[in-house]
Amino acid sequence: MSESIDRDLTLSVNGIAYPVSVDTSRNLLSVIRTEIGLTGTKEGCDDCECGACMVLLDGQPVNSCSYLAAQAAGREITTIEGVMDGQELHPLQRNLLEEGGVQCGFCTPGMIMSATALLARTPSPSDEEIRIGLSGNLCRCTGYAKIIAAVRRTADEA
Amino acid sequence: MTVTEPHTARPAPRFVRADGPDKVTGSGRYTADLSLTGVLAAKFRYADVSHARITRLDVSAALAMPGVMSVLTAADVPDVRFGPFVQDRTLFATDVVRYEGEIIAAVAATTAEIAQRAVDAIVVEFEPLPVVTDLEASLAPGAPLVHDGWAGYGAAEVVVRDRNDASFSSITKGDAAAAMATADVVVSSRYVADGCHAAPIEPRAVLAQWEGDKVTIWTSTQVPFDARAGVCETLELPANRVRIIVPHLGGGFGGKCGFHYEAHIAALARAAKRPVRLVFSRREEFLAPDRRREGMIIDITTGMRSDGTIVARTGWIAIDNGAYTADAGFFSQLAAMHLAGPYRVPNVSIEAHLVYTNHQPSGSVRAPTAPQACWALESHTDELAKAVGLDPVAFRKLNAVDTGAEGPSGQTYDEIGLQQCIDAATANAGYGQELPDDEAIGVAIGWWPSFSVPSGAYVKIDGDGSGQIITGAQECGTGAVMTLRQLAADELGMAPEDFQLVYQDTSVAPYDMGATGSQTLFNNGRAVVNAAGQVAEQLRKLAADHLEASPDDIVLADGHASVAGTPAATVSIAELAGIAAGGELLIGHGSGQPPGPPPLVGSTCVGDLGMAAFVAPQFSCHAVRVKLDRDTGVARVLAVSTAHDSGTIINELGALGQVEGGVLMGIGQALTEGTTYDDQGKQRNAAMLEYKLQTCADAPPINTHFVQIATPDAGPRGAKGLAEAPNVATAAAISNALAAIIGRPVRRLPMTAERVWETLNEEAAR
Ligand code: FES
Ligand code: FES
Repeated sequence: MSESIDRDLTLSVNGIAYPVSVDTSRNLLSVIRTEIGLTGTKEGCDDCECGACMVLLDGQPVNSCSYLAAQAAGREITTIEGVMDGQELHPLQRNLLEEGGVQCGFCTPGMIMSATALLARTPSPSDEEIRIGLSGNLCRCTGYAKIIAAVRRTADEA
Repeated sequence: MTVTEPHTARPAPRFVRADGPDKVTGSGRYTADLSLTGVLAAKFRYADVSHARITRLDVSAALAMPGVMSVLTAADVPDVRFGPFVQDRTLFATDVVRYEGEIIAAVAATTAEIAQRAVDAIVVEFEPLPVVTDLEASLAPGAPLVHDGWAGYGAAEVVVRDRNDASFSSITKGDAAAAMATADVVVSSRYVADGCHAAPIEPRAVLAQWEGDKVTIWTSTQVPFDARAGVCETLELPANRVRIIVPHLGGGFGGKCGFHYEAHIAALARAAKRPVRLVFSRREEFLAPDRRREGMIIDITTGMRSDGTIVARTGWIAIDNGAYTADAGFFSQLAAMHLAGPYRVPNVSIEAHLVYTNHQPSGSVRAPTAPQACWALESHTDELAKAVGLDPVAFRKLNAVDTGAEGPSGQTYDEIGLQQCIDAATANAGYGQELPDDEAIGVAIGWWPSFSVPSGAYVKIDGDGSGQIITGAQECGTGAVMTLRQLAADELGMAPEDFQLVYQDTSVAPYDMGATGSQTLFNNGRAVVNAAGQVAEQLRKLAADHLEASPDDIVLADGHASVAGTPAATVSIAELAGIAAGGELLIGHGSGQPPGPPPLVGSTCVGDLGMAAFVAPQFSCHAVRVKLDRDTGVARVLAVSTAHDSGTIINELGALGQVEGGVLMGIGQALTEGTTYDDQGKQRNAAMLEYKLQTCADAPPINTHFVQIATPDAGPRGAKGLAEAPNVATAAAISNALAAIIGRPVRRLPMTAERVWETLNEEAAR
């Protein structure tokens, strides 16, 4: 076990700058959840396989379990807590509920981050593009159909 | 009443879950999101070998490490053996370890890193014992025993045990041997299924804190009252000093049923005098819990008349119990029922053994035993149809049970919709159409019991007219608890949104069995309807006084109490609630008598754990269109049509979600999800990279029909259970599609590309 080397960093999460002092080996997920205290981003595997830890880094979806916190300094990090439109649910959030795309909800934050990135990149995605765009996010509950429907509806309404 | 409605189009928005906003905004808290001042991190020392005697266990180096606050082994907790069917388990290994994930010691330290280093510093030495992994070898005379003290263990009286056979069960009806001897056509098959995992996306977590002599435990369990009972039993505490609270639960699928680690963490917290938190890694989630889906060997023989009428069925099943019995005691009888199947079989003889091995223990994962046994039975059924030259769907229509028919265990069914399910699913799949020769539609039918058990709830309306449902029920994502609002609202003439839910807290609400056995709406729904009914009575009396009418004439609707036939004579429920707040409060409590088991006639069951008579049985038919790449053996599911008789559907959007999720889990189980072991009984694929769940890219369109029958002696409004049923017939239907393409069935589950390819090439070589 090597001695830890702490480093002072400023992480910008959802537009707010957070000064943190963390071991350089720490992943971004654990720093967001523990030091910054935003627990909406989930850990499902710590292995880059489930997508529950998905955040946006300068708009790009990233599995935060497999990304060093230190590498995120100077970039804009968006988590699920930054998705709401003021006090209003983002259309994607509302549509996921209305279409029945949320069951246990554990995959939901990561799914929303992926879908947000997908819709930013491809405003009118085909169903196939939605499937591929969300294929890094495992959901064990829904069978995906209602999640796909919610993304589709969000694109159609935009 | 039978209504068959298609749901192919996107459903209109109907139902937004009460917990929905928490879940889409990230503000909802799951167990691993919680912390407490001074919290310590827990880590376990696992056996890491499958069968061995502990010859030395020394925790002194771990205890001496700075930051380590407590280290526990079997010596530090009461000497209690537990288990719902067979008391074969202890919190910590005593002298023998029986599977790789068995806990030898637990550490609480100021950080997770220190706790892990302390775990690594614990010295354990072993003397190896013979590892039992093969089910048939385990049952053979003279096989090494997994539990050499088995005969001395306490067990439920009805459990029939013998050495490595932890629970034997048989179903006998008529004279199967004699009937088989007179059959025109007899077909015998063997099918072998691997074990697999529930794999909820949330790994489990537990947080415990003592205040005085009372402990509060936040835990990711599906069964809070069961978890409480386990803590009370193993730490020898009364129920009223243990409070289990479940924050949001990130899925369970049965994997989080039973009693897991709550007592270990409570004991650590008591020893350390600090709160302690455990958060599992994904690898631990795969290796440690006594809840994975059981592997099976299945032999089945069916005798028919030449017209395809079934006259006799015999079967033999060996189920991998793993090292401890957990809640699997009833699996032998349940598997036997699923091998008998929802068919009219006059002569039956099926035996099932729950076999100890040195694998991870099995436990209830979504419809335990059913998908594997259904896969074997329904693959065999297509072999039967072929043997008598009948179309597989026509064969099922001929032999499947129907209203008034007698099933294989001697139960005669009230109105049921299996035949309608077969018609609807096959019609919607376009069964019978011309398809390319690398595609086929496979069809399978399945069944599953509803579980009728005690359950309780309170309903109250506060002075401002807003309501609360306080229930012991547990929400694991299915929406069953969310649907309770609708039942209370309908009873009281209010809107679902008028109610908040307080749930999954054992010190606040009455007992409920938890998110298990698809039982929530069936039983807690009854409790909520009863509790709300009491409040409705109170409201009617209050309104009658207020409006100078008879309580019998008061109608509760649209948030108002009105006199029937006199719409002007009306008062809002909020106003009545304000009146009640100054007098007798509006509080109802409900439970209600659970429906009893239906009678069985003419059958004998050894090892009868109550599974031979199905209360309010659910039926399904799945028709799955599959495309096979003959060069690689890779199968792709193109479309799924399902039809379910789960009685009355109360929350349609939620019900569709259960079917779709269950189907996808079934596809995974059919094609990719199977645990592989090394020759020492250790899992080889305990990671999501090697154990593949279905992704969004794999998900086919799923079309669902509900055959709605308001079922007598069932749940509220004639609802039956639903959440497990969609898992039953999917793998079987895929198997039949593959067999139709290949020309013979793939006899191993999962039907991986490799196994499909081998079957293809064996067929080609014939
Ligand atoms: S926790 Fe990061 S991908 Fe699973
Ligand atoms: S809603 Fe439970 S994992 Fe997706």
